[in-house]
Amino acid sequence: MARLEGCEFPEDRAYFIERTQWIWVKVDGDRVTIGATDPAQTRAGRILYLRIKPVGTVRERGKPVATVESGKWAGPIVAPVAGTIVEVNPEVEKNPTLLNTDPYGRGWIVRMTPSVPAELATLLPIDAALVRFREIIERDHIRCTRGST
Amino acid sequence: MSDRDTSNPPTEPTAKKILMLVTTGPEEPDKTYAPFYIAALMAAMEIDTTMYFLMHAPELLRKGAAEKVPLKKGGTLQQFVDMAVENGVKFLACAESCRDLCEIPPEELMDGVKLVGSATMADLALDADTVISF
Repeated sequence: MARLEGCEFPEDRAYFIERTQWIWVKVDGDRVTIGATDPAQTRAGRILYLRIKPVGTVRERGKPVATVESGKWAGPIVAPVAGTIVEVNPEVEKNPTLLNTDPYGRGWIVRMTPSVPAELATLLPIDAALVRFREIIERDHIRCTRGST
Repeated sequence: MSDRDTSNPPTEPTAKKILMLVTTGPEEPDKTYAPFYIAALMAAMEIDTTMYFLMHAPELLRKGAAEKVPLKKGGTLQQFVDMAVENGVKFLACAESCRDLCEIPPEELMDGVKLVGSATMADLALDADTVISF
């Protein structure tokens, strides 16, 4: 596990970092699991509501798979690659603070089957992601904390 | 896995349109952030969201004004304006309000704000699926 200013970054993931989208991606066979990173959940604060698009939804890269609301932040979680949502996490829908307390584990959001596998190569491996996250964390003065349920 | 009929899977939804009318300016800071927050959320939900600022509300769009509006929850209005912009909310300012009430020259409005007349508001209201007024 890599760490920056209290923010954790698992080394077995790839990362999608564009504007306000700071997302992790775990490739598992022909599926990818998607979730919010530690700095993303810290910036949002305690998540109050999470709406996830239904299974079967076809998304282009960059289109929302979920909407997050915390009272101080409202925004989308976008598809880091084009594809179809094949599974949503019912546990995090019912208890969205899992995004805060366990963003890389029980807080995963959706699983997708990518429709353009070449897009997976555009995701950042851990080393390149850490360079970007270091810039973001310094720019936005982020120090990660994990909320409690 | 869902057992829904996948012969016609949900794809890109047809965008719904919401027009939000904002009339309160920095004279009442507590009333300023909710419209931006809700607009940002609706845009994140892929709703085509337009905020139309009239009466004293265009004051919020003056360059540098939002960061001078303090919020009780901490921070300033600027973070909510930025969030709305980032999520794709469109900002329109009433030309008459800017000229006669707020006395804001066009060059003093923040980037991305379009000045329009009241007839445009009428067109947008008729075209929107819902109009929300603050």
